[in-house]
Amino acid sequence: MNAAPRLGGRVSWALLVALGMSLTAFTWPLFLSPTSAMSPAQAPLVFALVLPLVLAIVLAEMAGGRMEVKQLAMLGVLAAVGTILRPLSAGTAGFELVFFLMILAGRVFGPAFGFALGAITMFTSGLLTSGVGPWLPYQMLAAGFVGLFAGWLPRASGRTEIVLLAGYGVISAFAYGWLMDFSFWPFALSGDTQLSFDPAIGALANLHRFVLFNLATSMGWNAGRALTNAVVILVLGTPLLRLFRRTARRAVFSPAESSLDGILPATPRLG
Amino acid sequence: MAAEGTVPLNSLHPWAWWCWAIGLGFAASGTTNPLLLTLIALAAISVVMLRRTKAPWARSVGMYLALAGFVLVSRLFFQVLIGSGSGPTVLFTLPELPLPDWAAGIRLGGPVSAEALMATVYDALRLAVMLLCVGAANALANPRQALRSVPAALYEASVAVVIALSVAPQLIESVQRVRKARRLRGDTARGVNALGAIALPVLSDAIDRSLSLAAGMDARGFARTNGLPVRGALPVMLGSVMVATCGVFLLLSTSATVAALAIMGLGIAGTTAGLRLAGRRLRVTRYRRHPWGWHESGVAASGVLAGLIVGVVGGLDPVAMMTPTYPLTWPELSPAMLVTIALAILPLAFTARPRPIPLDSSRHDAPQRTVRPRDAELVRP
Repeated sequence: MNAAPRLGGRVSWALLVALGMSLTAFTWPLFLSPTSAMSPAQAPLVFALVLPLVLAIVLAEMAGGRMEVKQLAMLGVLAAVGTILRPLSAGTAGFELVFFLMILAGRVFGPAFGFALGAITMFTSGLLTSGVGPWLPYQMLAAGFVGLFAGWLPRASGRTEIVLLAGYGVISAFAYGWLMDFSFWPFALSGDTQLSFDPAIGALANLHRFVLFNLATSMGWNAGRALTNAVVILVLGTPLLRLFRRTARRAVFSPAESSLDGILPATPRLG
Repeated sequence: MAAEGTVPLNSLHPWAWWCWAIGLGFAASGTTNPLLLTLIALAAISVVMLRRTKAPWARSVGMYLALAGFVLVSRLFFQVLIGSGSGPTVLFTLPELPLPDWAAGIRLGGPVSAEALMATVYDALRLAVMLLCVGAANALANPRQALRSVPAALYEASVAVVIALSVAPQLIESVQRVRKARRLRGDTARGVNALGAIALPVLSDAIDRSLSLAAGMDARGFARTNGLPVRGALPVMLGSVMVATCGVFLLLSTSATVAALAIMGLGIAGTTAGLRLAGRRLRVTRYRRHPWGWHESGVAASGVLAGLIVGVVGGLDPVAMMTPTYPLTWPELSPAMLVTIALAILPLAFTARPRPIPLDSSRHDAPQRTVRPRDAELVRP
């Protein structure tokens, strides 16, 4: 099976901008200045206003106008699977069952599909479990990138592919956890403990504090999530990839343009 | 989902509730006055209790209360354990335990002062009230109605979300079916082995379902708007997102607040315009568009005004909305704060207590059908 299809130029531009914005959003404690009018508790609110717009644009670019109805239905159904899996597994020491689906689907159906699946799964499970809050745009972006980069992994097949995907599952689990923790760390711990964020001491000292804080609080969660990803991908990876690829062939998923474009006469345009 | 039933058009527009809640959240974020924070929380909770429906999401406010309590307790715990905030009024002293050098010389325990504890409580209270405001919007706004009013550019994404929300309950039924089939075959594998035996049939069932759903949607003309690009939408959107990013960056990293806010506002306005432009490629009609009337404007305006008052008063005089903890003083309410609280509870005046709608039809499947409210029901208070 060939590697994931490449993205079109328009989408890549939208993605680059989204990457820049997300980097700013996730690493804001590094450049928050003590003279800023925003206190550390207010900064995530500013992002909670701006990030939905970024998400809207990327999703509009990725899903809008270039997704076939089969992809749309598949996106919805896989997001439903993730939505069901998330509350079933959440909470118990990082045993999280949402990410392997995004990784495998991103691998087979391409980076744009992976991004959309990650973001929409987080959104729907947030709606169903009433987990809507300032953290939701962050979760959507981070999960979207988990699916996106899975689509960009190098070619491999057979056993190598499964090991590659499991390794990616471990790395992405830690990256997801660290990014989420880092962006909400000043929020989670208030002003004047020795492990809390202090805009006055500089970026490096803050990073040191964050590493300690993270080791002390959420290292177990991140490790549990990484282990879950790796085990589930190793156990279910081969049959699931086969299932997805069979569907991709049956439904003729074509990422950029419809593969029927050359065969069928041009479809009549509306309006 | 079953209790959801019919969505009457005389319910308030969900985005109005979100505007109100976000405005209140901003008001809460701009103050550390415990009296004001508690009163905002009480206002939000009373609006929720008096105006929520029987829908499943309306019960979520208890969860948010628990979350807010957790924030308070965990922050206090960390403050007592590793806090370095010192004050003259030492309440009690914990035994000290210094950690090695690589741990940045952090010590556990030590004296705990009333000043540091109160500062933590105020800050945690602010966060907890902000969470409660979000929870209030969650409980009051109907998520499906909110999804129906997203900009047209997000049509495909919102269709995917709606599919996910409606398919999710069916999947549970699918799991039960697969398990019953396994038991009938005498398959008794447990643990990790059973994972594959259940997960794969369920997934492949779900994927088959998605293909037949796609066929059904295709036959009804969904997603037939492919390939109608609007020229110029993408540069506008990308440019404005970059401008908004710059604005946020400036806001956080410099002290030029006004300029940064202006740049950010420009970016947000540009993005919204770009999304509207991109939505033009769609020629879809909307069934039963949710009206935005003066009730909605009133609810949204009361929240936004509350946020503005706290923002402006706090901007003019940075200490006006804060309660000092060094030395400890009793918090006081200013007239501006009283106006804020009045605005927070104002939605009660614009809305009516939700009532179950009497149906014209007595057929047993009536609650499942989309029923228009009778004309008398459309008249709001």
